[in-house]
Amino acid sequence: MTSISLLRSSFRSLLRRPWQTGLMVMGIALGVAVVVAIDLANASAGRAFELSSQALVGRATHQLVGGPAGIPDSLYTALRVEQGVRSSAPVVEGMVLAVGLERQPLRVLGVDPLVDAPFRDHFGLAGVDFVDLARFYTDRQAVFVSPDMADRYGWRVGTTVEVQVGAHLETVRIAGTIPPREGGSSAALDNVLVMDVAAAQELLGQVGRLTRIDLILGPDEADVLRGRLPEGVRLVPAGEQTQTLGQLTEAFQLNLTALSLLALVVGMFLIYNTVMFSVVQRRPVLGTMRALGLTGGQLFGLVLAETAVVAAIGAAAGLGLGWLLGRGAVTLVSQTINDLYYVLAVREAPLRMATAVKGIALGLGAGLAGALLPALEAASVPPVTAMARSSLEARARRWIPWVAGTGVALLGLGSLLLVWARSSILTSLLALAGVVVGLALMVPAATVVLMRMAGPVMRRAAGALGTMAARSVVRSLSRTGIAIAALTVSVSATIGVSAMITSFRSTVANWLDLVLRADVYVSAPGPSGAQWGTNLPPDLVARLESVEGVAVVEPYRTVLVSSEFGEIQLTAVDGRRQRDAGLYRFARGTPEQIWAQVLDGAVIASEPLAYRAGLAPASASIRLETDRGPRTFPIAAVYYDYTAERGALIMTLETYHRYWDDVSLTSFGIFATPGQGLDDLAARMRRELGGTGLEVQVNRALRLEALRIFDRTFAITNALRLLAVVVAFIGMVSALMALQLERSRELATLQALGCTPGQLSRLTLMETGLMGTVSAVLSWPIGLALAAILVYVINLRSFGWSIRLQIEPGLFLQALAIGLAAALLAAIYPLHRLTRAEVAAGLRQE
Amino acid sequence: MIELLDLYKEYAEPGRIRAVLRGVSARIDDGEFVAIRGRSGSGKTTLLNLIAGIDLPTRGEVRLDGVAVSRMTAHQRTLMRRSQVGFIFQFFNLIPTLTVIENVLLPADLAGDSRPDALVRAVQLLGRVGLEDRQREFPDRLSGGEQQRVAIARALVQGPTLILADEPTGNLDEETGDRVIDLLEELARQAGKTLILVTHSHRIAARADRVLAMEHGLLVPAPRPRGLKAQARPAQP
Repeated sequence: MTSISLLRSSFRSLLRRPWQTGLMVMGIALGVAVVVAIDLANASAGRAFELSSQALVGRATHQLVGGPAGIPDSLYTALRVEQGVRSSAPVVEGMVLAVGLERQPLRVLGVDPLVDAPFRDHFGLAGVDFVDLARFYTDRQAVFVSPDMADRYGWRVGTTVEVQVGAHLETVRIAGTIPPREGGSSAALDNVLVMDVAAAQELLGQVGRLTRIDLILGPDEADVLRGRLPEGVRLVPAGEQTQTLGQLTEAFQLNLTALSLLALVVGMFLIYNTVMFSVVQRRPVLGTMRALGLTGGQLFGLVLAETAVVAAIGAAAGLGLGWLLGRGAVTLVSQTINDLYYVLAVREAPLRMATAVKGIALGLGAGLAGALLPALEAASVPPVTAMARSSLEARARRWIPWVAGTGVALLGLGSLLLVWARSSILTSLLALAGVVVGLALMVPAATVVLMRMAGPVMRRAAGALGTMAARSVVRSLSRTGIAIAALTVSVSATIGVSAMITSFRSTVANWLDLVLRADVYVSAPGPSGAQWGTNLPPDLVARLESVEGVAVVEPYRTVLVSSEFGEIQLTAVDGRRQRDAGLYRFARGTPEQIWAQVLDGAVIASEPLAYRAGLAPASASIRLETDRGPRTFPIAAVYYDYTAERGALIMTLETYHRYWDDVSLTSFGIFATPGQGLDDLAARMRRELGGTGLEVQVNRALRLEALRIFDRTFAITNALRLLAVVVAFIGMVSALMALQLERSRELATLQALGCTPGQLSRLTLMETGLMGTVSAVLSWPIGLALAAILVYVINLRSFGWSIRLQIEPGLFLQALAIGLAAALLAAIYPLHRLTRAEVAAGLRQE
Repeated sequence: MIELLDLYKEYAEPGRIRAVLRGVSARIDDGEFVAIRGRSGSGKTTLLNLIAGIDLPTRGEVRLDGVAVSRMTAHQRTLMRRSQVGFIFQFFNLIPTLTVIENVLLPADLAGDSRPDALVRAVQLLGRVGLEDRQREFPDRLSGGEQQRVAIARALVQGPTLILADEPTGNLDEETGDRVIDLLEELARQAGKTLILVTHSHRIAARADRVLAMEHGLLVPAPRPRGLKAQARPAQP
């Protein structure tokens, strides 16, 4: 027999089972699609970040930076004139909101085209052909945008755009477009308004200040310059800040990738089931082939080859589907990045070669890995006879203790690794995978035990059919065990992730109660956090205090400052109100003692910062770059914080003003006089602040908004979790279909003996119901273990957040419902076949 | 009494209609032992399936005690099989997930018969087929002959009036096959059951009251094989 006829026979057998082959393709396709979608979303977000960083940083080697208020522009003059540093360019950066575009955040970039050419292609003199320099300098409202952006928003030269800047509404005018340079991308300038540096200072309320000075320096020049800098100004390598910012999202993206791989792993179970079924069904044919001279090795290769073809088709379909899903995923991922990290405009998720190769390789790899055991099984088919299915199952049952033992070993190894890998997220995720796979390997053994327990109950409840249902699950364990394991893993992941999200949400909700103590909050619109750089004038305090019904106005200043642990968020607060005792994770002394230290110049550090920097709460201090130079601040306590993953500090405004020349404010907490209606108070404040565009929110609304953002950040996690359940569900359908096909003669015999279609349906539903129930019951402890690992290990190591694990009983019922629904839905097609199957044909089957 | 009236069974195949039965007519009396012979694919099993109401004829009618099987609903045919027909298959068709006693009890269980009563009958039948000490075994622990004896007990447990045996010795060696047929014939004749047995074996067919052959889609009387003495037909119960 030639290899071509072998392959022909193989592929015909695939075509003869279109449903099963289709399910196999779908399993791989869905798994690959999820991985590809997440990879595309992550890569697109990364690429957008990289492009915008390149556009902003350009070819600068170093940057001069200051505190939150920036650096005086006189320093630039001194640098060029007195110190002769010619390769320098002033930059003013800030964020505004386009009022007419549903408050779309836009980045303002103020540059001087006369000196910018060595740094950035877009804005230098090299670009005079497309930038009308006269307008650039003379029109203080002139901004230049990318052609894509102008097209998207329907802007023409002369169009005016209203923007919100802090507490002001301002107008800018489109003066022209900046086409991308050769080889460049228009996406680099997406949502960027380029304007003259002086005009940008005026627009952003930073007259006399620069955000930074970009420099091109050799190593020696840098050392010389560093020695001559005034207090509060630092020379840093270019891109250091953006690089740190980029690293922040790594843990988030890694966690998403891990979750996306879950769908592929579940898809692998599906491949195993389908290929094993195909091998078992063809045992007589395979035996004949052996008798005709085919070696075990050739059979092994044959099974792998046909699986590879199916997996390749699945992977290709998965690429297409992943590309489509990627469009949705990129929105969710970039939304989360915007909510949690930094403002990023990601519009597309183009299919990259690297992602395509990764998707195809993962699909093929998962397919071949899933087919490995069935291929070994095929290779072991004796030449003379087709081994009975019962012998195969007997062998499978003999393997159960070994499989379970391997599971225990993996579980142990994973647990040890979890303890050992103290800080590595990747190792922690690998350890988690070890724990999950270990527990999954114990599922078949647990199924045998549970079915033995269920047998007598089923007999009492449903007679011989009940007994058959329980025993047939065990009898076909080589198949049912895998299907149950796949569903168990998916449902466990659902329990684990749900419990983690619920716990997290409840922790955050409690925390919000501790943090949001004011009755009404006033802030500039736009994303929260210091990266926004909102500058509100201090005279707003008096204006707010004048509103009827206001007892106290608490001003807050939130900025980014440099520390020995990188850039962190610093919030300066009104020292009159000490913080709630429940807010402290670790503390030295009573809340009163802590606050006394804070009033004395100490800071309190957020938990993520303490975790990341390894700050010991008892004796820690932190060095910050202030406008007076580096200063060390004692840490009085560590507080719970779920806003700034980069780490945050709290100090009093008094301390802040002592070390930073920045009187601007970021937001205000308003305490009402007793008996005030908060909605009325908020309405009066809105009237008072009319024309400023500032947002006034009562405590309740702000709390709801915070939780809404929380839910939004977990939208993609939920979507991935559901997809894994869908793949497992397909696995269950495939397993059940295989079982029903295998048992056609048995079922026909039952009908010949007087079993009604109703009784047959009950039998099938009992079998699938038992499988679903076992999956759900086993997923409870596994889900709990997963939840605990996610909460206490993965989340802590990824983000530094401590979460109080909270398990709601409804979660277990939900898991049971998912398990049962998946199993019962999976029975629909087998039931449909049963009612249509001809008994006579079934009896004829060998 | 079983009446087969001008039975046709046709199967649609790509490009043609294949007729397996082309006007089969016959009458089988209560308590009669009829052997049906014929070449592979001649339609013997199809005929048994039509008699049991497992399959329906394209034309013609099967009547059991005057009732037309083909006019019954699927549910009625199932109930008819439960109460009136006992089936024995070439490959035994025992349910692998049920023990010997559970397999024998299965038709009673499907019919919802009271357990103690059915259990007594099942144990008695297992005693008759010599397997009372193997009640708790699963089928895969039994030999082929033992499995077929369990199948005989299962076919008789509900006290059917008609036993249909489709090549019951086809998967057994000659000696074991003979013992199985001895047992089947003995039990059927003692209880006065009608036994229709499909076989390739001349020797086994010679034991029947009447031998019919399927030829070209028709059921025709077949001569008794020479040298084999026909057994006397037992008296009606």
